[in-house]
Amino acid sequence: MDIDLSPLVDSWQYLVDGLGVTLLLSALTVVCSLALGFAIGLARCYGPAWLRWSVVFYIDSMRSIPVLVVLVWTYFAFPILTGVTLPPFWAALVALTAHIAAYVAEIVRAGIGSVRPGQTRAALALGLSRAQTVREIILPQSVVRMLPAFGSILSIAIKDTAIAAVIAVPEYMKQSETVAGQSFRPFEVFTGAAIVYFLILFPITRLVDMVYVRLAHLGKS
Amino acid sequence: MRLDWSVVWQNAPALAEGTLLTIVLTVVTMAIAVPAGIVIAMMRFSGLRFLAGAAAAYVEFFRNLPLILVVYWAYYVMPVALDVQFTGFTTGLMALCLNVSAYNSETFRAGIGSIRKGQTEAALALGLSRWQAMREIVLPQAARRVLPVLASTWVSLFKDTSLVSVIAVGELAYTAMRIRSQTFRVLEMLTAMAAIYWALGYPQAKLVDWLHRRLGVTE
Amino acid sequence: MSAPLILLYRDVRKRFGDFEALAGVSMEVRRGQVMCLIGPSGSGKSTLLRCTNGLETLDGGEILVDGVRLARDERGLREMRRRMGMVFQNFELFPHKTVLANVALAPRIVLRMDEAAAHERARGLLDKVGLTDKAESYPANLSGGQQQRVAIARALAMEPEVMLFDEPTSALDPETIGEVLTVMKRLAEEGMTMIVVTHEMTFARRVADWVVVFERGLILEQGPPAQIFDAPKVERTREFLSHLGWEG
Repeated sequence: MDIDLSPLVDSWQYLVDGLGVTLLLSALTVVCSLALGFAIGLARCYGPAWLRWSVVFYIDSMRSIPVLVVLVWTYFAFPILTGVTLPPFWAALVALTAHIAAYVAEIVRAGIGSVRPGQTRAALALGLSRAQTVREIILPQSVVRMLPAFGSILSIAIKDTAIAAVIAVPEYMKQSETVAGQSFRPFEVFTGAAIVYFLILFPITRLVDMVYVRLAHLGKS
Repeated sequence: MRLDWSVVWQNAPALAEGTLLTIVLTVVTMAIAVPAGIVIAMMRFSGLRFLAGAAAAYVEFFRNLPLILVVYWAYYVMPVALDVQFTGFTTGLMALCLNVSAYNSETFRAGIGSIRKGQTEAALALGLSRWQAMREIVLPQAARRVLPVLASTWVSLFKDTSLVSVIAVGELAYTAMRIRSQTFRVLEMLTAMAAIYWALGYPQAKLVDWLHRRLGVTE
Repeated sequence: MSAPLILLYRDVRKRFGDFEALAGVSMEVRRGQVMCLIGPSGSGKSTLLRCTNGLETLDGGEILVDGVRLARDERGLREMRRRMGMVFQNFELFPHKTVLANVALAPRIVLRMDEAAAHERARGLLDKVGLTDKAESYPANLSGGQQQRVAIARALAMEPEVMLFDEPTSALDPETIGEVLTVMKRLAEEGMTMIVVTHEMTFARRVADWVVVFERGLILEQGPPAQIFDAPKVERTREFLSHLGWEG
């Protein structure tokens, strides 16, 4: 088996552009899903009954449907339903955010739930309002416990952006596919892709593991 | 916008077949990946540095790659590298097994590692061998903690089978999207696809929740 | 009384990283002897016990069991461990098995006794420690003192020649300490060779034949309880005892 790295070399700009899209999409997804997920998580814990039920339905639905399906539906079906066409990148952002926000919401719920109920009782007894209790007492304690799980969201986001290739988002996976198809050198191109993804993801998962270990003791009430 | 939902009913048999293949992929993958996960976890616990290192490298490798890439890599590269032609199904299955085994081994590693050292010591002090201690004392206790996580992994796997659609394996996602291309009924087919996944996945997710509650760790 | 030696420690050394837990301990244990190891935390007494049945490996010196060096391989260690019973500070009963199953486990698996015989032996031992009616209970439903008594029965099930107790009452509520010490006292009266790491000075004074005082990985002083508690030869021993509130 001969190895020919020339496709990688010749198309390196193309691939690097793809990498840029991967990183941009991942970063935006993380930011949006953290924000949305946090809001949904709070609604799950503190909202009125009708809101809670809707949110639970949303979260459990996102747990049941594959990312691929959400991506494809958002890009192809959503425009038909609403008349609004989203370009691939934005469709991917919407789909990934919607999917990952559900996981973030669960992390938020678990984090808030891990704070001893006595804390809330004590705060209310001191005269704090519910809102103040959540803001001053519950959230600060729970956010610390959520941090390690949030870290793994970044890793998940990067891996999920690779699936966006199926809706032709020009991220790294898609670009690799194209180069591999044109050069008939799938081994070199996909192995290169594997190395690139590994080099990006490995430090992140390592860091998250370390944070888990550091903050594990705080997870105990 | 004119919708024609009859296309879903007309293609129900094909969709059912696709669903069946999704389920088969899930079941077979887990059947392979659970024992594989135990073996890899045991390798990491063995005192032999080479085995432990190889197992750790394997796990790190597959934890840090997108599954879709593994699927493509397996499909395009393995025939060339190994000079063997696998079917799409086998290739997809292999990619899924490699991926899930890595996650399972971490699950088993954590489960086994969470059992207090004193339990093993008490067993050893009674004269049990290391393997007997593992079999009688550690693994049964670890099973309680491992089961809910394995159940979660199962649900993730169920969803991840959709990724082998990219190499034309006829599971649910591929079948639904194929029918979409043929009939041009995009919204109907894609919504039906989502609905079927939802109908199958939702009860599974609830089951996982129940397992987590039932087998909740009580120290 | 010069009963035969069962355990001989020669210049035993053990370190954990930079910390020297045992700095050269030499000691003799004779059959039928009840030996209590006392001393401040971290002085090495528990470490010595754990080295005795191979749960910790030695960094220097040797331990002889009936004249034979303590094995280093798993197989040999297992053989030797059969002759020693160990009782742990936090009992370490197997939570997923009933009390009876806990006690019958080792005879069944290690001695390959059939289930009926193993259960019979187990019941006999549960009788002995006063827990006959708890046979079908799970450890989680027992008090600390009851769990520890089961742990003693479990160790006795292998018919060991020496019993090692690693702070058996340190994790118990004051009310339940008595029931465990009673069982241990009876065991001593029956002639079992016992090495007990303990903070229970009254027990040591009344039941032990020999007391060894540890400090910083070395033996400070050893002798009959009358000497150690009433007329210690080493000043540090006197200090340690008064620290514990021992009225000599």
